[in-house]
Amino acid sequence: MELQKFQYDNKTVKMFAYATILWGLVGMLVGLIAAIQLYLPAANMSLPYTTFGRLRPLHTNAVIFAFVGNGIFMGVYYSLQRLLKARMFSDLLSKIHFWGWQLIIVLAAATLIMGKTTGKEYAELEWPIDILITLVWVVFGWNMFGTIIRRRERHLYVAIWFYIATFVTVAMLHIVNSIEIPVSFWKSYSWYAGVQDALVQWWYGHNAVAFFLTTPYLGLMYYFLPKIAQRPVYSYRLSIIHFWALIFLYIWAGPHHLLYTSVPDWAQSLGVVFSVMLIAPSWGGMINGLLTLRGAWDRVRDNVGLKFLVVAVTAYGMATFEGPMLSLKNVNAVAHYTDWIVAHVHVGALGWNGFMTFGILYWLIPRLFQTKLYSEKLANMHFWIGTLGIVLYAVPMYWAGFMQSSMWKDFTPEGQLKWQFMDTVTKMIPFYIARSVGGALFLVGAILMTYNLIKTIKVGTFLEIEEDQAPALVGEYQSHSKDHWHRWIERKPIQLMIVSLVVVAIGGLIEFVPVFLVKSNIPTIVSVKPYTPLELQGRDIYIREGCYTCHSQMVRPFRSETARYGEYSKAGEFVYDHPFQWGSKRTGPDLAREGGKYPDSWHYNHMLDPTSMSPGSVMPTYPWLLEDQLDANSTIAKIKAMKRLGVPYPEGYENNAIKDMEAQAKEIAANLKKDGIETLPDREIVALISYLQRLGKDIKAEGLKAQK
Amino acid sequence: MLMNNFNKLKTLAVAMLIPAVSFCQEQATKESSSYFSNVLFLTLLATIIILAVVISAFSSVFKNIADSDYLTTKYNNKKDDQSSTTRNVSSIILLLLSLSMFSQEKVAAIVKVDDGRIGGLDQFTFYFMATIILIELIVLALIIYQFNYLVKTVTAVETTTKATKITESKIMMSLTDAVAIEEEDSIMLDHDYDGIKELDNNLPPWWKYGFYLTIVVAIVYLINYHVIGTGDLQGKEYEKEIAQAKLEVDEFMKTSANNVDENTVKLLTEATDIATGKDLYIVNCVACHGKGGEGTVGPNLTDDYWLHGASIQDLFKTLKYGWVEKGMKAWKEDLSPMQMAQIASFIKTLKGTNPPNPKAPQGDLYTEAGVAPISDSTVVASDSLNIQIKADSLKAAASATVAAKK
Repeated sequence: MELQKFQYDNKTVKMFAYATILWGLVGMLVGLIAAIQLYLPAANMSLPYTTFGRLRPLHTNAVIFAFVGNGIFMGVYYSLQRLLKARMFSDLLSKIHFWGWQLIIVLAAATLIMGKTTGKEYAELEWPIDILITLVWVVFGWNMFGTIIRRRERHLYVAIWFYIATFVTVAMLHIVNSIEIPVSFWKSYSWYAGVQDALVQWWYGHNAVAFFLTTPYLGLMYYFLPKIAQRPVYSYRLSIIHFWALIFLYIWAGPHHLLYTSVPDWAQSLGVVFSVMLIAPSWGGMINGLLTLRGAWDRVRDNVGLKFLVVAVTAYGMATFEGPMLSLKNVNAVAHYTDWIVAHVHVGALGWNGFMTFGILYWLIPRLFQTKLYSEKLANMHFWIGTLGIVLYAVPMYWAGFMQSSMWKDFTPEGQLKWQFMDTVTKMIPFYIARSVGGALFLVGAILMTYNLIKTIKVGTFLEIEEDQAPALVGEYQSHSKDHWHRWIERKPIQLMIVSLVVVAIGGLIEFVPVFLVKSNIPTIVSVKPYTPLELQGRDIYIREGCYTCHSQMVRPFRSETARYGEYSKAGEFVYDHPFQWGSKRTGPDLAREGGKYPDSWHYNHMLDPTSMSPGSVMPTYPWLLEDQLDANSTIAKIKAMKRLGVPYPEGYENNAIKDMEAQAKEIAANLKKDGIETLPDREIVALISYLQRLGKDIKAEGLKAQK
Repeated sequence: MLMNNFNKLKTLAVAMLIPAVSFCQEQATKESSSYFSNVLFLTLLATIIILAVVISAFSSVFKNIADSDYLTTKYNNKKDDQSSTTRNVSSIILLLLSLSMFSQEKVAAIVKVDDGRIGGLDQFTFYFMATIILIELIVLALIIYQFNYLVKTVTAVETTTKATKITESKIMMSLTDAVAIEEEDSIMLDHDYDGIKELDNNLPPWWKYGFYLTIVVAIVYLINYHVIGTGDLQGKEYEKEIAQAKLEVDEFMKTSANNVDENTVKLLTEATDIATGKDLYIVNCVACHGKGGEGTVGPNLTDDYWLHGASIQDLFKTLKYGWVEKGMKAWKEDLSPMQMAQIASFIKTLKGTNPPNPKAPQGDLYTEAGVAPISDSTVVASDSLNIQIKADSLKAAASATVAAKK
């Protein structure tokens, strides 16, 4: 058979590697600043752009989509070509993919610090960027499938199954969760509201973890681990079972982010049981990775890249065991809204994604530059500093989370809450400091790596043209009688993609359809009315400033929560919330029943300087809200958009909206004046106060009526 | 092989389902208590499940060693012994379990009359579960004994033959059910992807059975909460939590000096009470009413004008229920009745202290029953327990004792 000669595209791999390192450093640095702000709110320098509520989405987006995203593409572009014995399908597509993705990152960073956000966690980017992401993702898929079609290897290796599943599932998640109605170029409202929005959002959020942080990295593990260790993969059978079980089961587990909320009980229970069933399929990947090292553990001692991979796989095992445990309702009742969850995700992010990326870079860069790593010693130092960083990060956060939750739930024998919320905040501060030290160490490690790799690159010469040869695929495949049945789909990439899509679509469909169609899942509450125009504007300020990153709006049905916040939240209360703002973390108290708890002037002073109203508060100051004028003209478009989403404003209400808005604003301004505060009614603070004073009130009114 | 696995799975499933079945039946007769909220029950159930998993893991390891070719060729007779033991062990489990299942109905009938409960569980359930645990422990002990024996035999065989070549422990290999590294060519698949080859090792038994176990748990969970409805969903769980808390608080209040409300509250005059009231005031009230009670967001507490009355009962009521529409929060969930009485008593001492920057009077002129309104503040100050509150001293006196002791 004639051998065909071809060249690998190493340039795109190199560029993705550089981008990975750059965005990794940026993302971690932003994370560190945000971590410091939790005990030193003044570290925001009183600028809106650098305030926690905007930095936190910037941090998560940067590390997930910029650092890990580029890491995925680096690994996929390198391994895919070699596993298929073919050059990437199109250099132009590779270029569009690379620069398109970097453009998305830059746009994301700019808009997020400007406060342009949809307010949905991990999907904060506004609709024009959403469209851009879709296009670039299609380019990636096109390039990948083009390469697969032109392959010189009959069967697809397990790594590629994971890449294909990643591609289709991320496309599905992104499109479904990003359906939104544009109000203006940088503002949109989620198509879904309240409970439905929450369900779709966490189906997305949970599976962003699954199909952006997990499956592509499992694919990378299946290539780089055996490659670096020079050992055969432990078990083909295990690969098959854990792949299909993982992608099928993962999709269902989204509601475990919404336990004890207003989401219907049956959906919560599905979230619980599918999370429990996920343990084994997740561990399948870990086992297959670690047992591949059987008989090669001496190599782990000598090879620093392999060391990183081993810790990564172990961290993956720990995080994927902890996840199902956190999904048990009684554990979740303790852990949810606390720093425990922050610790959990960082074991995964720093350990699994971070260390896996570092390990691959230490192996890949010297290869691409035909040289040895500049300093093994420095790399080993990175390994130990990084590991110490993870431990120092995680342990205080576990401790803090557990402690804060216990304090929230503590009652005196007389039946009073034992601790003010503020007591639980001030207790957190030493832990926040320790955590930022851990994070700083991790970042120092990454900087050491960057220096080490730059030195390596300087010494070496880039292998631009790497040649290989393989026979072309000709004719139909003659299957052997002893072939495993699964070999069939391994030579049918399109079928593999379609079957993957079907497998991952099932869970979402079964959970969504009843919640959207069956009325009893969200019982109507008559007294719940749409927001007034001013409240709607205030709500958009709440979203813009990222208040949801620290405040939840979901009182769970626990004695400790109804005592602290009031009646627990009902599904029917959120039907006009596009998007929902339940939040996932309580650095500050829950706000679901904030309305009427304090006078308007309290909120005014609190926004100007939170410590004046709640001494010890770690909330940043928001002086610009007091000065900035509300964009009143946007009201008409906003009311129109809400009407299109089915919010029952009267016919033609958009024309009266501004008048109503001004009247309500004047009332609040007059109210403030009574307490000696002079403000113009057209300031943003007035709108925000109107929203905060509305929160949770609709159902309170009903409760009062019932009493009388 | 397949049949064998099936049998083991069946054993496991039966072991797990029996307690489930038993509590479902019980539940039907006694609606009152939920087993899943009983800590003892959960502990026992967890113990049963964990032991069952350990047993199944051990027995599969055990079987693997017994089945290994190595042993078969060298020790043909012994192998027969061992695997028959395995079979015996499984049948013992099955037998015992089915026996206890059989006898269950009879016992249940007897126990229904008895009301003596153990740790919140009825006696039958407790002893039944304890028996299962005991049986499991015995089986486990048996297996471990046999296992040790086998390991010794294997090691003996190894040392006598090719002692130096063994790189992996037999235990590890049995746990993973893996083919030895030296023999892995026999399971090497013929693919080669960029130099990466694949072995086709068996699924590690503990992993496989762990997976089955989670599926069984998932099914039992859904049945419990959504089919037969024995588990409490969150609404019901909440009602029970509140009821339980009310019971506990009522019990405590019966015996407590804390038992005051707006009808029975009396002005406290003890210096320690006033000092505590002041501390609580500093922590909770200063933000809205000012350091000296001069009023900021909230009204002035030092003048003679009151929005909602100024008797000790009125103050207590205001603190307890709040005037939410005016911005005064209800404090009853944060402060105990005693603490609210202390704050109210402290506030009574503030009258006429004339702190700097007083807020204009709000509300109606209030006169203490039987006492004429006095405009001279110095008189009032000496009247009210002789306590001078000045903004400065308040600042310095965060550490309690000061003012009250003057």
